[in-house]
Amino acid sequence: MTVSHDFNPGTKPFSMGYLLKRREFIVFLLLILEMAVFGILTTGFLRIDNLMTIFQNSVDLAVIAAGMTLIMIMGGIDISVGSLLGVIAIVVGWMIQADLGAVPIILAALSIGALGGTVNGLIVAYGKVPAIIATLGTSNILRALIFGMLGGVWITGLPPTVEFLNIRIFGWLPAVTLIIVIVYVIFWYFTKYIRLGRAIYAVGNNAEASYLSGINVGHVTVAAHAIIGALTGIAAISYIARMGSVEMSVGLMLPLQAIAATVIGGTSVTGGRGSVIGTLIGVLFINILQNGILLLGVPSMMEWAIVGFFIIISVSFDMLGTKKIIH
Amino acid sequence: MNSSIAKIFTNRSTFLGLLVVVLGFGLSFLSPYFLSISNLLEMTQFGAVLALLGLGQTLVIIGGRGGIDLSVGAVLSFSGVLMALLYHAGVNIWPAAIIAIFIGGLLGCLNGFFVAVLNMPPLIVTLGTAYIFSSISLVITNGVPVSGFPAGFDFIGQGKIMGIPAQVLLIVIPVFMVMLWVINKTTFGRWIYMVGVGDTAARLAGIHVKKVRVMLYGISGLLAGLGAVVMSSWLMAAKPDIGTGYDMQSITVAVLGGTSMMGGEGSVSGTLLAVLIITMIYNGMQLANITSVWQLAVMGIVLLCSIIANNIFESRSRQTVKKSK
Repeated sequence: MTVSHDFNPGTKPFSMGYLLKRREFIVFLLLILEMAVFGILTTGFLRIDNLMTIFQNSVDLAVIAAGMTLIMIMGGIDISVGSLLGVIAIVVGWMIQADLGAVPIILAALSIGALGGTVNGLIVAYGKVPAIIATLGTSNILRALIFGMLGGVWITGLPPTVEFLNIRIFGWLPAVTLIIVIVYVIFWYFTKYIRLGRAIYAVGNNAEASYLSGINVGHVTVAAHAIIGALTGIAAISYIARMGSVEMSVGLMLPLQAIAATVIGGTSVTGGRGSVIGTLIGVLFINILQNGILLLGVPSMMEWAIVGFFIIISVSFDMLGTKKIIH
Repeated sequence: MNSSIAKIFTNRSTFLGLLVVVLGFGLSFLSPYFLSISNLLEMTQFGAVLALLGLGQTLVIIGGRGGIDLSVGAVLSFSGVLMALLYHAGVNIWPAAIIAIFIGGLLGCLNGFFVAVLNMPPLIVTLGTAYIFSSISLVITNGVPVSGFPAGFDFIGQGKIMGIPAQVLLIVIPVFMVMLWVINKTTFGRWIYMVGVGDTAARLAGIHVKKVRVMLYGISGLLAGLGAVVMSSWLMAAKPDIGTGYDMQSITVAVLGGTSMMGGEGSVSGTLLAVLIITMIYNGMQLANITSVWQLAVMGIVLLCSIIANNIFESRSRQTVKKSK
């Protein structure tokens, strides 16, 4: 099964023409341009500790966006990740307060996440509910659960059980960024060489054809949702390590950020096309934007208008570039 | 006998009407106050804005091709804020309100343009514009509610005519009547369903598909603008984040009312009944002293159950169609 995600597969690899046709490369150029603009306009932006802070703050989003990429390649969407992250973060917070070790905490986070994702997957695959509606529904149920679990009181002042994630290797490289590297290497391999990874592309391209060629579409759907759920568990741990507290509005903007990063990174919203590398660049693009806007002194509320603008621009590029008409 | 029971369950409006009665009966056990005339009339005002947004959402979803409008909440916020700022800039309140409604329609048409003319997926387009509109309304107000509307403006949102809230009697009911007429008695109304069933067939039947779809999103925006006027008059303030959560609620009432996410199917009366049901549940929970956060969970559960139920009804009624395919 060779599902091409190049605009023009006939072009010679690594020639300039080839690179310019790769979506990842264009977004990468945009990222460099963005960094140059902020580097010129502000004084603190290009300092190494500022850049490392950006990386450190990108972990939750990067991990979840990797999962979102899978879901969107499959032609779906998941807007419950923010609420799911909140629920897991609260459980992790409780476990830290109860002084349980790192291993049970990580296992609990992963399994609650995978369970939540599986429920979404089952509703989508077997309840035949469109992914947006299914995850909208579960997101609201989980959001109410967050309120119920917190009971109006924030979780704060957590003892440093997960403090190892805040360690800086060589004194400057935050250890949490290793999570990004590990997750993305695994996902790159997974989407390129593993059967399930390829099946996700196939389902996104044409679910009916995939079914006819022997792919169990229901299983693939549930698996993809379980994966993003487990990733949400990882993100929840990194969130706790970074914030040291959980408040009511935890993860409210997260699903939209993850979708934005994925779409800006070149994943087709109609499914079947996209890459995790593009998504990683999209994540950095958004986080650098947040950081740079802050340094420039632009009101932070403006940030979302800019992100929204880039979502629309990148999708319209998609539509014009591929001339793909959706029905 | 058996077939008449089946008919009740397959006819959405009958089913919802029955649900309203059962719910009213059940909720009266939770609180004896629930079934009093004054409470029932009071209650309807909470559903007014939701009804307007839900009716717009219904049209957009019926219009098909993945039709959805996630920006209604943001348009609601933006139009309200704009009206308040216009008023403070010296414009009389009523022209300001009319401008706000038209700006809402214009923003809706912008969505429609991206969706219909540029062929972009509605989900992403309206997500993007929702970001932009809500962000702009926060920026131009610094996130602070704008108040200081003139006395008299509160009549729409707070006034009552024979005990019936004015926003229901003067806004929601006329809007609903007009929509009912447009959908059932005009060519445009039939075009909406045709377009929803399939682009190609509609085009071959001579329908200007793109124009119809732009108009649907425009109507959704107009209704959100109208909702903004009602909301501002009700609260006597324009809050820049008032629309948060309304996108989801409007989708919920549309789907609960029997609109199919696949397009081409649904009715405005179903949506109105669904608004009534949601409002009753909320009101009942409030009277029973259940914390408002659980309303969110109930909304989620109702949403999921209504779609799954929809699918079951649909697969039953479409089985014959599929066979001939």
